[in-house]
Amino acid sequence: MTQSLALDHVTAHYGTTRVLEDLSIRIAAGELVSLLGASGCGKTTTLRLVAGFMTPTEGTIRLGERDLTRLPAHRRDIGLVFQNYALFPHLSVADNVGFGLRQRGVAPDERGRRVAAMLERVGLAALADRYPAALSGGQKQRVALARALVIEPQLLMFDEPLSNLDAKLRVDMRVEIRELQRANGATAVYVTHDQEEAFSISDRVAIMDAGRIVQLDTPETLYQRPNSEFVARFVGFENMIPLAVTRREAGVAIAEGAEGTRLALPEAEFGRVPDRFVLGARPAGLAVTDADAPLGIPATLGLRTYLGRAYQYQCRTPGGALVADGPLDRPLETGQAARLVPLAQQCCILPDAGRR
Amino acid sequence: MRRLTPWLLLAPGLLLVVVVLLAPVLNTGVMPFASGRAASLYQRFFFGSYNQGVILRTLQVASVTTLVSLALGFTAAYVVSRAPAALKSLLIVAAVFPLLTGTVVRSFAWMVILGRNGMANDALLKLGLTSEPVQLLYTQFAVVVGLVYLFTPLMILSLVGVLENIDTDLPRAAASLGAPPRAVFRQVVLPLATPGLIVGSVLVFTGSFTAFATPQLLGGEEQTVLATLLYQKAMVTLDWNGASTIASAMVVMTVIVVLLMNRLARRLNPASV
Amino acid sequence: MAAPRSPLDRTHPGLIAATAVVYLFLLGPLVIVFGAAFSNTTFLAFPPQGLSLRWFENAFANSAFRASFVTSMQVAFGGTGLALLLGVPAAYAMSRYRVQLPKALSVMFVLPILIPEIVAGFSMLRFLQVSLGLPVVAALLLGHALLVLPYTVRVIGASLAAFDFSAEEAAISLGSPPLKTFVTIVLPNIRSGVIAAFVLAFITSLNDVSISVFLTGPGVSTLPIQILSYVEQFFDPTVASVSVLLMVLTVAVMAAVERTLGLTTFTK
Repeated sequence: MTQSLALDHVTAHYGTTRVLEDLSIRIAAGELVSLLGASGCGKTTTLRLVAGFMTPTEGTIRLGERDLTRLPAHRRDIGLVFQNYALFPHLSVADNVGFGLRQRGVAPDERGRRVAAMLERVGLAALADRYPAALSGGQKQRVALARALVIEPQLLMFDEPLSNLDAKLRVDMRVEIRELQRANGATAVYVTHDQEEAFSISDRVAIMDAGRIVQLDTPETLYQRPNSEFVARFVGFENMIPLAVTRREAGVAIAEGAEGTRLALPEAEFGRVPDRFVLGARPAGLAVTDADAPLGIPATLGLRTYLGRAYQYQCRTPGGALVADGPLDRPLETGQAARLVPLAQQCCILPDAGRR
Repeated sequence: MRRLTPWLLLAPGLLLVVVVLLAPVLNTGVMPFASGRAASLYQRFFFGSYNQGVILRTLQVASVTTLVSLALGFTAAYVVSRAPAALKSLLIVAAVFPLLTGTVVRSFAWMVILGRNGMANDALLKLGLTSEPVQLLYTQFAVVVGLVYLFTPLMILSLVGVLENIDTDLPRAAASLGAPPRAVFRQVVLPLATPGLIVGSVLVFTGSFTAFATPQLLGGEEQTVLATLLYQKAMVTLDWNGASTIASAMVVMTVIVVLLMNRLARRLNPASV
Repeated sequence: MAAPRSPLDRTHPGLIAATAVVYLFLLGPLVIVFGAAFSNTTFLAFPPQGLSLRWFENAFANSAFRASFVTSMQVAFGGTGLALLLGVPAAYAMSRYRVQLPKALSVMFVLPILIPEIVAGFSMLRFLQVSLGLPVVAALLLGHALLVLPYTVRVIGASLAAFDFSAEEAAISLGSPPLKTFVTIVLPNIRSGVIAAFVLAFITSLNDVSISVFLTGPGVSTLPIQILSYVEQFFDPTVASVSVLLMVLTVAVMAAVERTLGLTTFTK
């Protein structure tokens, strides 16, 4: 029976250091939510709190109707996949997977059946009698997964489960994890620092910074409409251009910034543009055009690098350095003057909050 | 030349081992045979009723010492390994300190405690458990206490190392799978510590099996063990053939115990295969 | 930075109490020796009925103790020095040329630990003193050097295992001759290992009984052996005060090491 997970106003400390600050999140039954952020952002702390390896200083943690906040870890019924797999080195693959069932008092023959079925599902039936030391990274990962799944937990949690695998295997495994989680129907929390991994696997992603969730949304929303510069940078909006609207006419906002910067932004494409804002732009969101164009950001082109899909230019502009993509058919020379024009699909409008 | 370099560097050390240890010990080993009476010497050693008593006593003392220091050492090591960092280093230093004090001094301390006017008798008298001082010194009890005292720090230190090497995620993983603390200990911590327990036991067993100063001081003549018997034969009665026989037998018995226990440790630790 | 404690990290109070008792057992007797050393009674009792330094005076007045202390120092410094002189090159060879050397070689350097000391001592007496006719002090020196050789090889070997030999190769490629490279590049990097090995070996040698008891002869004795024979004849607190002096010496050596390296050196 799968359940929703709710953290309400959770604060946690390591000694006197506060590592989590008034964090609230609700994860619906059957949903997979990733906690994404750099190390030290609080994502692993959150997971440890839910698992019961730490107790919050304030706030409550609920799984369905049950209050987990002070419940010992072994009574929480959570399937946890560890970063280093944490397989028991003294137990065979089958005994590792059967460990949780044994704790639940499942009879040996029933246990054997369920372990065998689970090993079959993760493709390890042939390795049941091996010991962890004799397994490859990917195989260990599958054992860890099987061990967490076989107890049919109300909640599945993953702590950077793929970080010790090579790139190719990582992509295969994340598909596998998603399929197993779907089939199992369990609610899941997935901790990672890898943006692509989080976006590809999750229903929703919570981006964390300094012990708080800065944005919790679907991958699509996060990718297109980040709500802050922090999130925008995280999802690849490398250029931050502060602007102010000087005129609005016929659904087009005319915005001006640093010396000579003047842009026309159709609100039909860019959405509502506030009076003061920051334009976030991916390199592909700044088109390099002729210097004599009437609108755009005046720029001098610097180093050119070849990316395959485009040329990328390090540009000097009155407002600072920007990165922009130029067309492949017309490589431009270093030192050449140009104008940079924003393309709506690869840009976002951000509140000016952080910049004063 | 390059191929010779490592050997040139090793040669002086190897020479020391060969000349000061290997040759003398082999020489001791062949002595009973060279005397042409090896069979009767060994027969006397293993089947003489006095010697049998000494052999059995030595084995008994070493076994009891091993079991007791295992119990004390494992308990302490478990607590030490889980202590907060600052306390942990203090406790480790406290265990190292007795190790750096010599066996003579440490055995002497127990002579003070167990003597006729010592603290132990004092306590027994005050508690009214006895009306006159009891003979504690020069008993097997005294030898075992002295040896346990000698070897428990060693056990603590080697077991703390073993327990600290257990990945902290393993007890967590077990708990997350529903194992209560007792099961975490029995099914995860204990099995993973077992090879270390065996290694520690080998250290203590061989150490107390061959210990000299402690049985000499706390056991006296009544509690002669192999090491003190060897000393008596070599230095007091000057029966060097007898002493050589004991010496060879001790080496063989020690090696057998070490090999057996190592084998057991390997069997109990399939993960290392 | 202590993590908030969860039930998983809590240790049973019974276990903590038991551990306290174990530590009392470990440290109590040493305290008692201290008490006996400062007592004014002629028999060994604790707690002392009155304080005095008479047993220390007695110890210092005893020429056998003084002489054996000098011998112990000579043998400990000499034996440890010799063991380092032989052990450092051996440890270096085994780390540096690991692949070219037979594996069984390392057994040779464990042998002094594997063979019971009492057997080694007896065999050395027969071989070194009786067969080869070495004088007492020379035999003691060699015996102690052998006794502590495994410590030097092992501790320095552990230090070398952490050393990146490509630094040495870099120095040689820059024109530094091999021996000079060892002194200027390798040695400074294993300095703490060498010091730890020295201290460990020195203390082991200083406290040795099983080998020394055979090798000491009439008129030449080491301190532990002198204590041993004194205790067998007299049962007064003189030995307690000698023990205290030995412990103080040990603490002084440890404190010196703690200053330079930190005590964790010993537990590695």
